[in-house]
Amino acid sequence: MANRQRPPPAAARQPSPDSDLVDEEIVFDRRSLRLMIPDLFTQLPPVRDALVTETSRVQDETVSVCLPSLSGEDESVEYNGHGVPGLSRERHVNFLRKSLGKLPGAYVAADASRPWYLYWCLSALTMLGEDVTSYRESVVATARSMQNDSGGFGGGGRQLSHMATTYAVVLALALVGGDEAYEVVDRKAMWRWLCSLKQPDGGFQVCLGGEEDIRGAYCAAVIVTLLRLPLDLTPESPAWTGDSSVNLLTGVADYVRRCQTFEGGISGQPNAEAHGAYAFCALGCLALLGHPARIIPSYLDVPRLIAWLSSRQYAPEGGLSGRTNKLVDGCYSHWVGGCFPLIEACLGTSSSRITGDVAVGDPAATSSTSTTRSKARLPPAEESLFSREGLIRYILCCCQDQSRRGGLRDKPGKNSDPYHTNYVLSGLSSAQHQWELDEPEETAASEGAADAVWAVLPYLDGVQIFDNKDRVRPIHPVYAIPQQNVRAMKEYFQQKQGF
Amino acid sequence: MPSKRKAVASKKIKATENSDPSSASPPNSDRDTASTSTGTTPAAALPSTNNGNTDSILDRSKARFALARPYDTLLQQKGGALSALTPAEQSAWLSARIASRLARRPVFASSTAASPPSSNSGSSFGRDLRGAACGGGPKTLKEVWRTVNEASLPLRAAAVPLVKGLEEGISVKEFEARWERKVWLTCSDVASRCFKEKRERERRGEREEKTGERVIVTGQEIFEETGRRQQMAALRTELYGGGVRKDGKLAADPEWDDVVPVVLEEPEGALAAIAYPPEYAEAMSYLRAVMQAKEHSPRCLRLTEHIIGMNPAHYTVWLYRAANVFALKLPILDEIAWLNEVALENLKNYQIWHHRHLLVENYFPTIASDPAAISAFAASEREFLRQILAEDTKNYHVWSYRSYLVGKLGQFDSAEELQAIEAMIDEDVRNNSAWSHRFFLVFSNPEHATPGVAATEPDPKVPQAVVDREVDYAKGKILLAPQNQSGWNYLRGALVKGGRKLGTVEEFASGFVKGLGQGEEGEQVQSTHALDLLAEIYAEKGDKEKADLSLRRLGQKWDRIRVGYWEWRRKCLETPA
Repeated sequence: MANRQRPPPAAARQPSPDSDLVDEEIVFDRRSLRLMIPDLFTQLPPVRDALVTETSRVQDETVSVCLPSLSGEDESVEYNGHGVPGLSRERHVNFLRKSLGKLPGAYVAADASRPWYLYWCLSALTMLGEDVTSYRESVVATARSMQNDSGGFGGGGRQLSHMATTYAVVLALALVGGDEAYEVVDRKAMWRWLCSLKQPDGGFQVCLGGEEDIRGAYCAAVIVTLLRLPLDLTPESPAWTGDSSVNLLTGVADYVRRCQTFEGGISGQPNAEAHGAYAFCALGCLALLGHPARIIPSYLDVPRLIAWLSSRQYAPEGGLSGRTNKLVDGCYSHWVGGCFPLIEACLGTSSSRITGDVAVGDPAATSSTSTTRSKARLPPAEESLFSREGLIRYILCCCQDQSRRGGLRDKPGKNSDPYHTNYVLSGLSSAQHQWELDEPEETAASEGAADAVWAVLPYLDGVQIFDNKDRVRPIHPVYAIPQQNVRAMKEYFQQKQGF
Repeated sequence: MPSKRKAVASKKIKATENSDPSSASPPNSDRDTASTSTGTTPAAALPSTNNGNTDSILDRSKARFALARPYDTLLQQKGGALSALTPAEQSAWLSARIASRLARRPVFASSTAASPPSSNSGSSFGRDLRGAACGGGPKTLKEVWRTVNEASLPLRAAAVPLVKGLEEGISVKEFEARWERKVWLTCSDVASRCFKEKRERERRGEREEKTGERVIVTGQEIFEETGRRQQMAALRTELYGGGVRKDGKLAADPEWDDVVPVVLEEPEGALAAIAYPPEYAEAMSYLRAVMQAKEHSPRCLRLTEHIIGMNPAHYTVWLYRAANVFALKLPILDEIAWLNEVALENLKNYQIWHHRHLLVENYFPTIASDPAAISAFAASEREFLRQILAEDTKNYHVWSYRSYLVGKLGQFDSAEELQAIEAMIDEDVRNNSAWSHRFFLVFSNPEHATPGVAATEPDPKVPQAVVDREVDYAKGKILLAPQNQSGWNYLRGALVKGGRKLGTVEEFASGFVKGLGQGEEGEQVQSTHALDLLAEIYAEKGDKEKADLSLRRLGQKWDRIRVGYWEWRRKCLETPA
């Protein structure tokens, strides 16, 4: 075990007003002093342990690579008065358009995740204000080539249908919109396929013979609600009991509940470690099964979850990490950052106090064993539960690839990629906006909150550290694509008779 | 290398005896070209020119070209004008030209399709002949052949064109060596076709005409064919360069002859289309074919390995591999041993872990009633997990698999498992994955865990001795690094599981916070997590004021990035429970 003293990271020398400053250090810090950057984002945290371990070593390294960007030290970058660079829209757009084009042979490892490239790039372009309807024809052709007669979409032609790639294709079709795109989906086969993945314990396999995890549950909930699929089970489904009250969404919320860990966060499957990506899947899934204000407190220990989510934000980085004692990563701007609008909706506003009882009509409530959970009244979050300024600083200072390549990334020193570009922008979007949800009606229909009306506004409280032109478009807090795209797709299938 | 050469040589002798050149190895291209003059090469049988020392094959080709056209050469020598030739020479020159054209004409081609001969002929005889060539009657043609015959013109040699392209600049010796290799290639091709034919007859269940026995392709024949195709592929590249379409690894493998690969064309305008390396594209086309045929066989297993080597993230291939392993009833432990290597080479891949999960699901029933076998398997898995976690201490999929394995093999009470985790926490006390696993081992142990109780809820069945032990363990580790949240989360989790008040650790937590609210100088916080817990403890005791102060100080000074959360917590104090 290492017992060495833990020195401050190289870039983190902090001039203290009491000490004699040498000239070099004054020069070192002058730029950041001229800019309005709170010392919270330029200095090491006040409490640090001396013990060095692998975890503290990589954490210190990360702080070292982030500090120059956070302190306005990068000579090649233009900062505003708050020490924040602008969003390089044009370069990011170019990066995304390129990623949709022909990819070189080295991308062979992405052969089973091409639908993700479609979703990430189209979604990110949309948030950047680009019109993606010109991609409609290509998306239609690409999606068709990936659909299987037995339902669902694979990672490419003749690949097994997978929950994740199907989710990505459906969202890509919603993003380009239009009847032609919607009509690509063989909904009857899709419904049969989803039934074949539904497990008796409430969860979903990600593909036939594949693993069962909370991603499967979230993706299934998104697919079922967007495509307006029937909830009935086929007799071939592993979850079929003959009892007509048992349907596609039965037991899903219970499955989600079993994934909450002692830390308060959510794991990918029961008994594993709490992880940011699964927190979003859990909350997103619940928010589609019922009204967030009712269903989330019914199945999850909300105070512990909030404590865990809040612990994901670090200073001075300002960004979010995915697990306890892990490093910040731009993608958690969405996976963790995207949980806050859902949590805030769950807490409601001061005018509406939710007690957390599950409405009888909630499909997920019928088989619940957890309605005995104590219903402590929680106050609404009048202010943000996380530091929007910190996250926005991390995103704009540390996550932009400032070279000609463009795109967004995990952290300085890493390459940009479509995955990070999309999820960093999603996180930026949720940090720049606030969402309000209509009040749950006492007689909630079985559709749950799938039709809940979310109202979005730009977030205007406090000091705005970014320029107005750098505000990206808002996205639906659950489906993570613009609200009008969600509405248009749902309405299209709503009007259809049968499949 | 010497042994290889020897083998090749002996094989060649045998081949000569069998007069089957195709089973011999190809002429060695890097050997001393002097050996081509030993007279064993077909090149030696070529009509030699009067200039055997010609350096370039182009020179020799030109010389032969001239020899085959004696009257053209004569014409050139006399300045190029037909009038310089005698009438007899003129007549012979023209006949030669016409005859060579006629000789090259397709047998059944219509005479009108023949192109007219050179128009610079001035003699009337020439005009007659031209008429003949353009469709004259048999009589005029007879005249041409008579002239040609009398002049003993080398018509057949004249049909050989000048060398062009690749071969133009090479020496005669090189050309001869090349020629030899071309002959070998042709012979091999014939042999290869014979092999395929025999394969096809075997498939149809035919019998040998002479013996009446079933046609069977032996392993030796397949082995030889494999080698032959490799040599043919190499030779084609050597002779014709990389521009020639090369057969892929599988197309060249006789084992795959019966499979028609399913090639997928991307639709027009396909997005994020990958320019697949040829080897990958070929393998995938064979995979589609065998998956479609639902074939499960050793060669399919090898194919999946081949593809996984190029793209380990291909979930379809992994599931198909598992199906093969189970259908062929292969020893699971062999597959696990293979998988260990793949896993260590692909640390970030997670398909590997589901594959392992499937293997264990399949394997466990065979050892379920044998505790010794279970222990042995658990031990070998633990050893492998130790290795892989040494490379990547917080790998999420490895840890998820580990918790699955503990449940499956019932290792909750295994001292080795607990020790392995303690060793990892000793190595890095901030390894939260290890802490999480410990919590699972202790508090999900079916011996004393109530099914259905949530992770953040008290479980009355957990023995208090266990809670004591875990609380002490966490405290000990917190002392090493008080700002390590893993230890505090564990401590709080253990207290809640044991149904204990958080206040039972107030004294311990207070040790990390001094002089709260006593100004910048007096206030010392060694752990924000201790202060967080103290705020809860004060609230639990009903000391709202102190709780509020703790939360305020966290937001103001000690953990400012989370000020929004600390403020919300302060509001929680106001809300009646």
